[in-house]
Amino acid sequence: MIDLSQFPSPADAPEPGACIRVERPEEGLAVVVFDAPHRSFSVLDAPLLRDLDAVLTELEADGSVKGVVFTGRRPDQFLAGADVEAISRITDPGVVRQAVIAVHGLFERIERLAPRTIAAVGGPVPGGAFELSMCCDAIVATDDSRTRIGLPETMLGIIPGWGGSHRLPWRVGLPKALDAILTGRLFPAKKAWKMGMVDRLTKAEYLERIAADLAMGRERIKRKRRGRAKWLVDRNPIARAVIRGQARKGVDAKAHGNYPAPYAALDLVMAAPGRSLSEAARAEADAVAALAIGPVCKSLVGIFFASEAAKKLAKFEDGRSPERIRRAAVVGGGIMGGGIASLMADKQVEVRLADLSRAALDAATWQHRKDIAKKRKRRRLSTGQANSAMDRLEVSVGISGVGEADIAIEAVAEVMKVKHAVLGELAGAMPADAILATNTSSLSVTEMQRGLPGPERVVGMHFFNPVKKMPLVEIVRGEETSDATITRTAALAVALGKTPVVTKDVPGFLVNRLLGPYLDEAVRLFVDGVSPVRIDRLLVAFGMPMGPFTLLDEVGFDIAAHAAGSLHEGYGVRMTPCDALGGMISPERLGKKSGKGFYDHTAKRKKGQSPPVMGDLGRFQRSTRAMLMSDRDITDRIVLAMVGEGARAFEERVVATAAEFDLATVFGTGFAPFRGGLLGYADSVGAARLLSMLERHAAMPDVVERGAAAARFEPAAVLQELAEAGETFHGRG
Amino acid sequence: MIKVEHDEGPEVVIAAGLRSPWVRAGGTFAKEDAGHLGSQVMRELLVRTGIEPGAFDEVVVGSVGPPHDQANIARVVALRAGIPRHVPARTVARNCASGIEAVTTAAASIKAGAGDLYMTMGLEVMSAYPLIFGEKMTNLFARLMRARSLGQRLAAIGSFRPNFLKPRVALLEGLTDPISDLLMGQTAELVARDFGITREECDAYAAESHRRAAQARDAGRFEDEILPLFPLGAKEGSTSVLHDDSIRDDQSPDKLAKLRPYFEKPDGVVTVGNACGITDGAGALVVTTAERAKALGLAPLARLKAWAWAGCEPARMGLGPVHATAQVLDATGVTLGDIGAIELNEAFAAQVLGCARAFESAEFAGGKLGRTSPLGTLDLDRTNVNGGAIALGHPVGATGARLLLTAAHELEKGDHELTLATLCIGGGQGGAVLLERIER
Repeated sequence: MIDLSQFPSPADAPEPGACIRVERPEEGLAVVVFDAPHRSFSVLDAPLLRDLDAVLTELEADGSVKGVVFTGRRPDQFLAGADVEAISRITDPGVVRQAVIAVHGLFERIERLAPRTIAAVGGPVPGGAFELSMCCDAIVATDDSRTRIGLPETMLGIIPGWGGSHRLPWRVGLPKALDAILTGRLFPAKKAWKMGMVDRLTKAEYLERIAADLAMGRERIKRKRRGRAKWLVDRNPIARAVIRGQARKGVDAKAHGNYPAPYAALDLVMAAPGRSLSEAARAEADAVAALAIGPVCKSLVGIFFASEAAKKLAKFEDGRSPERIRRAAVVGGGIMGGGIASLMADKQVEVRLADLSRAALDAATWQHRKDIAKKRKRRRLSTGQANSAMDRLEVSVGISGVGEADIAIEAVAEVMKVKHAVLGELAGAMPADAILATNTSSLSVTEMQRGLPGPERVVGMHFFNPVKKMPLVEIVRGEETSDATITRTAALAVALGKTPVVTKDVPGFLVNRLLGPYLDEAVRLFVDGVSPVRIDRLLVAFGMPMGPFTLLDEVGFDIAAHAAGSLHEGYGVRMTPCDALGGMISPERLGKKSGKGFYDHTAKRKKGQSPPVMGDLGRFQRSTRAMLMSDRDITDRIVLAMVGEGARAFEERVVATAAEFDLATVFGTGFAPFRGGLLGYADSVGAARLLSMLERHAAMPDVVERGAAAARFEPAAVLQELAEAGETFHGRG
Repeated sequence: MIKVEHDEGPEVVIAAGLRSPWVRAGGTFAKEDAGHLGSQVMRELLVRTGIEPGAFDEVVVGSVGPPHDQANIARVVALRAGIPRHVPARTVARNCASGIEAVTTAAASIKAGAGDLYMTMGLEVMSAYPLIFGEKMTNLFARLMRARSLGQRLAAIGSFRPNFLKPRVALLEGLTDPISDLLMGQTAELVARDFGITREECDAYAAESHRRAAQARDAGRFEDEILPLFPLGAKEGSTSVLHDDSIRDDQSPDKLAKLRPYFEKPDGVVTVGNACGITDGAGALVVTTAERAKALGLAPLARLKAWAWAGCEPARMGLGPVHATAQVLDATGVTLGDIGAIELNEAFAAQVLGCARAFESAEFAGGKLGRTSPLGTLDLDRTNVNGGAIALGHPVGATGARLLLTAAHELEKGDHELTLATLCIGGGQGGAVLLERIER
């Protein structure tokens, strides 16, 4: 009996023996089916591990069994991996260690079973599910587009701890194992088979039969042998040094030292060749124990669960899913409109893109075809799929042919009158229950609803630039927007591969409202003498995906200035933008799109090198007084401006919960995921300390000089309440 | 006013139509693919008519040379255009008349009671016609495939000679009549010699075709017909093709006179200037009954009054329109003079002029048509009023769709009761469709 008493068990755990069924379809064959009644998808949680223990004991004692097959309740449902939620709740490293060692023991017993063991898998096979499979003599997987196999643990701030960090390199060699574990990628069936992660592929309908044949020895197991490569690569000190160096560089480029898990995984995998099983168990247990209780893991798991929860927005309260949106219209063929339409066409939605300018439509068509061709070239799409994706984008000069569309998204100029006119025209041309969405970033959805027939179907659907890369969509609820409209729009966002967050209809919604003061503080420090390169470097080190000046160049000065202006209008004096950015704008200097911004994007440079800073920035600087500020103060100043505004937005409940709030900051602003998002960061600093930091910065001469505009450093009431009560944002939910 | 008596059976109409610009082969559509080009036009016509795509009884596409990887091009186009999979699709061919064949096939099915709503199309991407390995190279490949031992393989490879790589040009071979062994241009030379048609006449006719086409384009005459398209393979910053692109605004008989005869040197009359161009294009037409069109809320362009297909001498295939028109006129009792506008496909200027002579020739009427009197005069002022294939181009399988679409629009735009679309067909055939105005 293994001891799992310390391992948290779900509240609705079923009776012992209920999670696993053992079938005996023929003499000598035992089929172990994971089928937990309390889960929609079986997970390696405490009750299931307990049952597995019992099943193994039974099999070990049964001499008549020749072959054992481990499989899921359906060919596309094996196991969803470890019970991440339970692991994230453990705070005692000793308990983590014990739990890891216990499961290691269990898995080792699978490996030692006398009969031939086969894992018959399909659908998602992540983490623990794959680790269990690797203990079998062979893995057979369904050759299906839903099959995805890998070890994604590092994405959650831990390492493959149930043998994966060792069994995978033993199985496929160092280079492939590093690639799989450090990226956390889930591989499609064909790729997994080519890499040697699984031994045989078959169609879902044959999975049971082929697994039985393999288990009973009717078909010989053919395993990819690494042979010489094992000695030339895995055990060759020179090759290992090279591999290690390369992998380390790759990890540094992404993690910047902020994420401990990939580094730990790298060490484990590199040490795997030559280690014994018991050494492996101990090493993994130590690593998991150290990581799982750390703040990074807790943050990443928090974000993961928040993003899973966000998908529930795509369902009605009674659990039903809204009807899939098959046809859409997008009005406005600019970067945003074109990007949205292209994304839709790529994601199975027929879309009609309307613009008054044929040239804009041509450019959008060109970009769409280019993107699809790229996916085709990378074999993400077959020729037929690529053709369909191209065919699904229609264009139209002027609004026409929208009568069959389920939703229209307008992405025309940010002028209320223009948007109102377009929505009015759409309302007249479309079915009465079609959604009318606006991609506005600065205008009020409620105001747009006024005077439109059926205002309950008008909603904000705010995509971020670049549309295809940014994972967040803000679903903006206007005063009259109905719940059904919110759900249907969120479902579309999910179908498009995006994470929806519902926000209130306030200026800038959530993401731009937070980015406004953040960017403005950076500009102000630049004006007072700090180099943009230094500021960018500091914030990247803080954990932002790019520094504020790189971001300004990406966004475009004109767009950023417009957004800052509308925030100022909406919130008054505390959002007063520094006038320097406006002064830098010229047709040649709008950021990356015009070639020049804070950086010179036209300069010749080697691939992978970042663009050099512009030579003339000095003339926009007005003093040198901030030059002597410490790195710490510079980072704090910029981040605090965002935290201060974030506290106000939280107070107003611009989004419903702290978890969704943080999800939006991570997916929308790129706020350091390992810090758990903006509020997570604020909580880790503590409200009391934030208060004193705000006070300190508010008292600095350059801030005092701003007069009333310094108001952004005045703490929100909620921050004071939290400080007094010793509470956290996330504690308030 | 013409006395019109409707045929038996349901009243067949062309309910709506749309075509791509006709684009010179190897030009801006060089990277186009038949499935893509056709489906874009069909998709837009579906949206514009608002017909529920699943309502069609069948999709019929006429094409002379479907790509080798899309043999039933009709099915490919239909599915890519968003027509649901339960609607069947077939590809039909009658050489240059394939586009009309699609329509008459659909009309015949309606008359037979098989259905009452058809999506038809004429489609040709001549840019994509392949080069084919010659016989020697093909034999070598066959030997290689059969080779069992290394020796056999080496022997096969050793038999290679550089001249094996000389390709066969599918386009050129496709435009040769295998019965008479004549290139299409050579059949036109034969017609020119028969009727004493001169080089000057041909060049003058060709120049007029360009003038009329340019005028029609500038007057917006084709706006309702053409869907501007952004071609596959277009470079960044390039624009959609808005018009047929082979119309020459500055064409003149003097310029044409400088060209050398192409098919018969040195005395022939056919040059590349007074012959139709090799072209890419697609045209879609919705064929249904008057009743169904009404139910769908469509205002039909024309009623299909009568049509005929006729065979003639392969070596003089250019006279096919005379043979087919004769049958249509006989069947309906209409005379040439009753017809307001005629679209007679301009394969070659010499061939159009030859038709004109044959229409009024008593000898031709007696000898070839078995009639006692000539058919009448083909009024060239009422023929191809918007220019023809010499200016616009001739994407073989697609041309029929354009002839019908233009002739149908001409009923209202030219205020006519009847219009005719007719064309000659490689292999010695003619086709003619008589269209009648319908209350809209």
